[in-house]
Amino acid sequence: MNSTPALLNRILLAVLGLILLGVGLLLVLLATVPPVGSWWHSWSSGAWGGINQVFDSTRFPGRPESWLWIVVALTLLALMGLMVAWIAQQGKGRSNLLAAEYDPGEIPGDVRIGGGVAEQALRHALEGRPDLAGATVTTYDVKGSPALKVRLLPRQGVAPHLLAAEVSGLVDALESVVGKEIPVLIHVGAGARTRFSRAERVR
Amino acid sequence: MSSSVESRRANKGSRRSDGPDMRRVVYRETHSSRAVVSVAAAALVLVLAGYGVLESGVHAVGQPAWLIEPQVAAQRMVDLPAGISPLLLGAVGAVLAMLGLIFLLNGILPGKRARHLLAGAPGEGLPAVVVDDEVIASSLARRARLAANVTPEQVMVVVSQQQVLVNVRPTSGIPVDQGRVLDAVRDELDHMLLEPAPVPRVNVTPSGVIGA
Repeated sequence: MNSTPALLNRILLAVLGLILLGVGLLLVLLATVPPVGSWWHSWSSGAWGGINQVFDSTRFPGRPESWLWIVVALTLLALMGLMVAWIAQQGKGRSNLLAAEYDPGEIPGDVRIGGGVAEQALRHALEGRPDLAGATVTTYDVKGSPALKVRLLPRQGVAPHLLAAEVSGLVDALESVVGKEIPVLIHVGAGARTRFSRAERVR
Repeated sequence: MSSSVESRRANKGSRRSDGPDMRRVVYRETHSSRAVVSVAAAALVLVLAGYGVLESGVHAVGQPAWLIEPQVAAQRMVDLPAGISPLLLGAVGAVLAMLGLIFLLNGILPGKRARHLLAGAPGEGLPAVVVDDEVIASSLARRARLAANVTPEQVMVVVSQQQVLVNVRPTSGIPVDQGRVLDAVRDELDHMLLEPAPVPRVNVTPSGVIGA
């Protein structure tokens, strides 16, 4: 429901996994198969020689260090920045606004309804139910439009379809109060609280 | 006023369950997110890059290296099979390959969660409903228990993506009608209208439970 970049995660994870897998397999082969060792020797010394030459040709005038090191450091810094940005993208998408619209009535201005309205109204409506061990309501921002996620934790043996139908009735009532249609996702889940609590016996 | 209500009713179905937004949301709910693994991978790269920045920065200003001179490290890498015990080298390689395999599989596998989508709408305009398989199983177990007339401990239900397996251990001396249990479970499944629809199977064990 949140805006975690699912495809980006997959691609980056696959690329990183391939790199690590390749390096690891190479190390294992180096340790176990002698011909791979000689091949690696000839290949890597050639490559290292080339890199060394580049470093030698880019020295600061009058000093032994190459300015390429600064480039390397900056590149790595940029990579670190990208990684921080990637982490920051995870699990975003909670919002606090249920509806925001221009009010065409007599008084000019916008009408904004916070997500707390839906959350508290629904939570209050679901509070006293004997067949629920818990319920949470959260507002999300799905591609710029608000959406509600209702997470229900029913006790053991509760029929999920009947529960969902009753909750969707509540959501309908809420929508008629708010005056706007909101996409709703109901998640009927199980957790430690439902697993070890008593079963609902009478219904 | 009435016209607006009419139009709301008319576009309800299209906006609620068939809209591209909702399909995306439902996909996200039924497939696991890679957020945790991604954060771990990013942290790994961050640490490695941070060390690299430190060493190359130190080297650029001509200071002595912190842990190892980059050139020395590269030289050691070039003549690798020598200079380190093959056992250690193989172990390091195996660990790296394992880590890579974990990341790669996390990126490639579908990652379906043990959840079903509820397509059953009594009336129109039901919001998208996603149900954990555990909840479905406990609901079916209750129904099967009532049909077989046994205690909750004698029924075990396993719900997977494509099938539902109901194990019933009858009370010793009181036979359980397999067909009745199957009918009850099927009836409950028909009311739920799961997506993808699992096929129910009932398995009555030949040995009974004494004193239940």
